[in-house]
Amino acid sequence: MSRIIRKLSNPMYIMIYATVGIFLAIYGAGAWAYGDRGFLTLRTFVNMFIDNAYYGISAVGMTMVLITGGIDLSVGAVASLTGMFIAYGTTILHIHPAVCIAFSLVVGVGLGLLMGWVIEYLNVPPFITTLTGMFLARGVCSLISRESINIQHSMIDSLAGWKIYFMHQVNGNWVKVKPIAFVNFNVILFLVMIVIGTFILQRTRFGRNIYAIGGNEQSARLMGLPVARTKILVYGFNGLCSVLAGLSYALYVKSGWNLSLQGAELDVITCAVIGGTLLTGGVGSMIGTLFGVLLKSIIPALITFNGHLLSWWGKIATGVLLLLFICIQGIVVSWSGRKRSA
Amino acid sequence: MKNSKILGAVMAEVLLLLVCLMIRPDFFSISYQPSTGMLYGNIIDILNRSSEITIIAMGMTLIIALGGTDLSVGALVAVAGAVALKLLRWDVLEYNTPGDYTVCNFFWVLVLPLVVCTLMGMFNGFLVAKGGMQPIIATLILMVCGRGVAQILTDGKQFTTGYAPFKVIGQGAFLWLPVPIIITVVVVAFMAWFTRKTAFGTFVEAVGINRSASRLSGINAAMIIFIAFAITGLLSGISGLIYSSRIMSNDSNNAGLNYEMDAILAVVIGGTSMTGGKFSLAGTVIGSILIRTIVTLVYYFGIVSEATMAFKALIIAVVIVLQSEPVRKYFAKRKGAAKS
Amino acid sequence: MNNILEMKQIEIEFPGVKALDKVDFSLRAGEVHSLLGENGAGKSTLIKCLTGVNKMDSGEILLDGNEIRPQDPGHAMTLGISTVFQEINLCPNLSVAENIFVGRQPMKHRQINWREINRRAEELLSGFGLEIDVTRPLSYYSTAIQQMVSIARAVDVQAKILILDEPTSSLDTGEVQLLFRVMRELKAKGMGIIFITHFLDQVYEISDRMTILRNGHLVGTYTVEELDRVSLVTMMIGKDFSGMFDMDRAEAAENSQAELEVSHIGVAGKVEDFSLTIKKGELVGFAGLLGSGRTETAEMLFGAVPSSRGSMKLEGHDVKIDSPGEALNNRMAFCPEDRKRDGIIGDLSIRENIILALQARRGFMKPLSLAEQNELADKYISLLGIATPDAEKKIGELSGGNQQKVILARWMATEPAVLILDEPTRGIDIGAKAEIQKLMLKMCADGTSVIFISSELDEIIRCSGKVVVMRDRKKVAELAGRECTQQKILEIIAGAA
Repeated sequence: MSRIIRKLSNPMYIMIYATVGIFLAIYGAGAWAYGDRGFLTLRTFVNMFIDNAYYGISAVGMTMVLITGGIDLSVGAVASLTGMFIAYGTTILHIHPAVCIAFSLVVGVGLGLLMGWVIEYLNVPPFITTLTGMFLARGVCSLISRESINIQHSMIDSLAGWKIYFMHQVNGNWVKVKPIAFVNFNVILFLVMIVIGTFILQRTRFGRNIYAIGGNEQSARLMGLPVARTKILVYGFNGLCSVLAGLSYALYVKSGWNLSLQGAELDVITCAVIGGTLLTGGVGSMIGTLFGVLLKSIIPALITFNGHLLSWWGKIATGVLLLLFICIQGIVVSWSGRKRSA
Repeated sequence: MKNSKILGAVMAEVLLLLVCLMIRPDFFSISYQPSTGMLYGNIIDILNRSSEITIIAMGMTLIIALGGTDLSVGALVAVAGAVALKLLRWDVLEYNTPGDYTVCNFFWVLVLPLVVCTLMGMFNGFLVAKGGMQPIIATLILMVCGRGVAQILTDGKQFTTGYAPFKVIGQGAFLWLPVPIIITVVVVAFMAWFTRKTAFGTFVEAVGINRSASRLSGINAAMIIFIAFAITGLLSGISGLIYSSRIMSNDSNNAGLNYEMDAILAVVIGGTSMTGGKFSLAGTVIGSILIRTIVTLVYYFGIVSEATMAFKALIIAVVIVLQSEPVRKYFAKRKGAAKS
Repeated sequence: MNNILEMKQIEIEFPGVKALDKVDFSLRAGEVHSLLGENGAGKSTLIKCLTGVNKMDSGEILLDGNEIRPQDPGHAMTLGISTVFQEINLCPNLSVAENIFVGRQPMKHRQINWREINRRAEELLSGFGLEIDVTRPLSYYSTAIQQMVSIARAVDVQAKILILDEPTSSLDTGEVQLLFRVMRELKAKGMGIIFITHFLDQVYEISDRMTILRNGHLVGTYTVEELDRVSLVTMMIGKDFSGMFDMDRAEAAENSQAELEVSHIGVAGKVEDFSLTIKKGELVGFAGLLGSGRTETAEMLFGAVPSSRGSMKLEGHDVKIDSPGEALNNRMAFCPEDRKRDGIIGDLSIRENIILALQARRGFMKPLSLAEQNELADKYISLLGIATPDAEKKIGELSGGNQQKVILARWMATEPAVLILDEPTRGIDIGAKAEIQKLMLKMCADGTSVIFISSELDEIIRCSGKVVVMRDRKKVAELAGRECTQQKILEIIAGAA
């Protein structure tokens, strides 16, 4: 028993506790205030996943980039580009969507690897490199089309329409839960990516090298870790996540638009930060990011339930959450620093 | 060293202008429009349209020279517009006859947005200088919630105004030139004076290059950082006034969108390193004009406006790769080898 | 006994200074070999050469009789040379166990075997007498434990040679004993250990042999029995025959007033209870080995690390100095020890570096005009003989001695009442050294009070009107210039008196 308590009191988990704690507090507050209006239903909870799955998928890659101490501003544009490829390819050029998706993957991962290479070998700051990547991807989107293109293809339709309903037993018969709640392909993809991300970060040397680089890049080099390779691959993996996020968004809105997902990179970064990822690198986890996404999505949900508050309070609330988390992180960091000097 | 970096941006700019000239032989022609009392022409237009970014980039140069970044400037542009229009509203939904609108004392219309933006800049500066936060994180907060503040101020509505004195800021003419150009020239001149004729610029560079040594030389580094953020806030406010005067409205969602990115790029293209240190305001001005020239050039190829980003990215990529440390070292080595 | 490592005729030259001049070094299996010398003696350069951080200009390194050329620390490690640096080179965010095994984690079913990592880490550290929770992040633990963890990592990679670069500077007595126990065990297993420290007691306790370096030259290699403490300290900081020249010491005039009086100031863990009175025009030398608290005292006087107790009086008035800016306003000046980190602003010109402190005192809104700046810069360039074509050259491109002169000029321009110089002559050539010493004396003659910190005992004795001897973060003696001899100071430093 004491062993478990000791394990749980490990300061490594403080940020996760903070995220989960604040999420539960807000969820509890929402339940107390709007429980009678259906805030507590499974449907409300599942909808938070459905409406934000594409942010979550992108946040998986972003978390890794941030843990290395880098940043990637290109994710929104690359996701949007993916949507454009799928929409333009299937609807205008009549190419099979699978080919379009494969092509997007090649482009997205390639761009990620290229940016990683530039960051590592040309010493261009990640901020500038990925900003240029964002401009490039966004520009190509607009070159393809300035109009929103609807995606019409049976495969996309079936993928987007595929649902698993939550069922329960009533008088021995399986019936759908009321109000109807379901998970779709996007939610599954999001959860799968979280699991894959957790596996990479916790169970592979590659993942641990990511943490080591974020903790102290100089030390990581002195310890003989493959810093260059790891960094480049992390940006490549983030490119993959951006493409999957783009696919997920395309399924969500069933169209491609050159201006979609503008500013999404900041929402994704915000998700990671309120999920306990340190922008200075070295700290972060997939579980934290999962709750970060939920925390970010519960705010609009609450505002909807309130009915009186206007949507921009969401921005303010997100900003306040960010400030709160950065302060918590600052306290945690200075606290462990004090330990060291003592 | 410093000059060679600016030289890259200057050469790129000249090259682009030459390409423009080849496509349109009348590219440099300037005509006079008596009805507005203003000169017209592509060059004037480039200067006019680049002024918002140039003004913000003046402050951004200081912050980058200190080794930081300010992500909140775009949101501050929206805030400035919201405050100004709040005081000057001509709400189409409520007042449908021109002239029937609320107009505050025009002095406050100009001063209050600037005060609000300066305070927000000070908030950033406080978090960075006293709170010890990384600039990119500290300014992310206002970047995220700044637009929310703008929407709260205006109740999420888009006000329009027809107030003539306000129109002058973004669309008026002075000395045959568009007023934004005049404002930009004043701001640039002031910043050049402030950084080079006082010791502020030297202190900024000293802190950006070696904070520890600067502190031991008696420089109050925290104060320098704080002032730089406050100035950037103020300049974002000025830029916001110009923007909202151009559209005679406030637009909390789109005003100043991606300005932080453009301003940072202008600074970096202008030869100031993201790691801090020596800075060049002249380089930044050229960087900002270069970005606008790319946009103009791309129009000439008949390419849609949003697609300019791709060309912007390509040209910027070339400039930045050429400026990157390993590439410069490589050329320096080749030069050295050629000499010996 | 056979040598596992031999370094022969190692030469390394940095711009303007010869860091190592034909240095020989050898290490036997199963010995602890101390490497001794003051700052700039070449210890760390020798280590960096061995670990591939610095490339040697000439000489050879033999490991077990085979010539090696380490490319970088990682390569050195694969050759069997592990290093524990003074600054801990681990990742503070990873757990203790992971820091030991990162990059070579044991795997099971192609997954990291955390159970095995934690088990082996616990086992390894309990061998060091450490019973700690290895799953907690490294930053959670004290520096001493972090140091042990980095040693554990170094040892676990099956090294033949272990280099410990000042591992004990942040450890308390009990922790040092723990470290020594581990070192003895490793020694018994046949590992060769290179041990760098500035604590003489520890040298005598643990070492078999010692090699002394000074100014990039090899002074000699001795067994501990051969050399007593006083002769060891003499070899490290004693008379430097190459730098002899006549000088007057700067003593205060009989009736001169006290310029600076400090009583009982201190910072927990750095300096204990320090008191001193300096008269106008007096030069006070601070003698003591590296880590004796001399630099910390200087930083405290200047407010870089504000003192937490005691009081200071300047020209009879009470002052509270808690930041360098405050010190500057009270006409104090400080040339820090680490010129590169704390002194020069590398990318700025000589002119800008010279006017910086004066300008900081005036505030940025009262700028010196360019003409005034040029006048000041030219004045000091010619006064101090700074070798540069003009004042616009970047300070980073100058040699060490000239950089030092620029920093000195920065403070002279503020016309200080009290000037603190921390190792102003370190790492610069002998001619520049003499010039800087002369300059100090001239400033004293002009009425400035100077505090002079140096590793070269000789130059302290030659210039100082008063000598403060420091040891173990305390002031242990204060001697008037005329009565102090090298022998006496050496004995106090060595702890023999």
